Amino acid sequence: MAATPPPIETEALIIGAGPAGLFLAFQLGLQEVACHLVDVLPEPGGQCAALYPDKPIYDLPGLPVCSGRELTERLLQQLRPFNPPLHLGQLVSGLQRQPDGRWLVRSSGGPNSSQAWLAPTVFIAAGVGAFVPRKEALPELEPFEHSPPVQVCYHDLPPEAALATAKHIVVHGGDAAAVELALALVQEGTQEWAQKTGQNRITLLHRSERLQIEPALQAALDRALAAQTLQLVLGQPVGIVSGPGGGQAGPALQALQLATPGGGQTTLPCDLLLPRLGLSPKLGPLADWGLALQRKLLPVDSATMASAEPGLYAVGDINHYPGKRKLIVCAFHEATLAAFAAAAQLRPGQRQLLQYTTTSPRLQQLLGVGGGG
Amino acid sequence: MTHVVTEACIACKYTDCVDVCPVDCFREGPNFLTIDPDECIDCAVCIPECPVSAIYPEEDVPRDQQHMIALNAELARLPGWKSITKRKSPLPDADDHKDMSGKLPLLKR
Repeated sequence: MAATPPPIETEALIIGAGPAGLFLAFQLGLQEVACHLVDVLPEPGGQCAALYPDKPIYDLPGLPVCSGRELTERLLQQLRPFNPPLHLGQLVSGLQRQPDGRWLVRSSGGPNSSQAWLAPTVFIAAGVGAFVPRKEALPELEPFEHSPPVQVCYHDLPPEAALATAKHIVVHGGDAAAVELALALVQEGTQEWAQKTGQNRITLLHRSERLQIEPALQAALDRALAAQTLQLVLGQPVGIVSGPGGGQAGPALQALQLATPGGGQTTLPCDLLLPRLGLSPKLGPLADWGLALQRKLLPVDSATMASAEPGLYAVGDINHYPGKRKLIVCAFHEATLAAFAAAAQLRPGQRQLLQYTTTSPRLQQLLGVGGGG
Repeated sequence: MTHVVTEACIACKYTDCVDVCPVDCFREGPNFLTIDPDECIDCAVCIPECPVSAIYPEEDVPRDQQHMIALNAELARLPGWKSITKRKSPLPDADDHKDMSGKLPLLKR
């Protein structure tokens, strides 16, 4: 396991790169506060990008209709002049006050990448928690996630690596991520295998025939099914079959027992299971940071978004104050107030001006527009 | 405020909702899931997961399901109703009951 690199020192750290976190980074930019952003997801945008990228949002001021993906793109475009470092795929695991008053924030991005920051101001913009891969419901599968050779893998695995280790690969899920992965595995040369052995090496397993995918992807899947390079099996795993030869001389996963939609049971050979069951939010580590959460929300002062802990702020769905509404537009307001409050904290004694981006030469210079002339 | 499981869940118990709950606020009875109103944070992530659309925010609970608000709170406090955090198979005859209404008499405690 690689050692944690020395902490990055920054004026502000934002935990969560959803709409609240991205707009907060922009507002901190206007306040000339340097920040870093960290998020557990591989892409910025939070819930908007991960849960409903294509669904329309109708209640953003001045944007009669906007998809989650488009909103994320627009926020990133707006943020570009400040270009804050964005640390993706990092799950924040701890938050600790240092003797000098700053916060030490640690994250983990898997066995070989962890990160730490030291910052006088930390902003929790974590929504309903970290989005982590939804787990299989069978606890019997858990041991196969850990001891090598790994036979149940929730994370990205290069197709070559998967194909090198397994004879019967099962992709479990019914959304685009699952279908795309199954098709990518097929393209890595399993046609020959199917022709030679008469067996399907790649199985897409889903509880019903209805997949949550776009027509183009459905067409690609239908072609693969017709060419018999891939099989679609309907069912829910209800048990496993294991035998000798697994990691550390333990058992090896050999097959899944499935409950089929017709009410029957069947056995599906499987020596590598790739669950792609979507994402589910977990407050998880956040609940363990030792903060005074109330009903899993962080109470803040509605004038500053400051929590009871000095230097620790919260914006968006994770915070609570009288009159709180969990709406994106409210998160934008909260981000603005939080940025002003943080600037006041970081530059005590400095008079805070309210400047308009329309007229302020300084703000326009920061944004790289106008030029003040 | 909280979210509320309505009668549609009775005798089905698909459990898709429990997987996505960030605060693990679902409690499981013999043939119904309930939401502990003291734990729910109103994130609404569970609503689209339910295959029978049983879950509503408290202020949107349909008029004929208003009794379920108090019942959710009552059931969540029963000692036998334990926290459920991982999806499991629905009740065997769930599909037969999913389109039924007026299932309250079927509720087991």
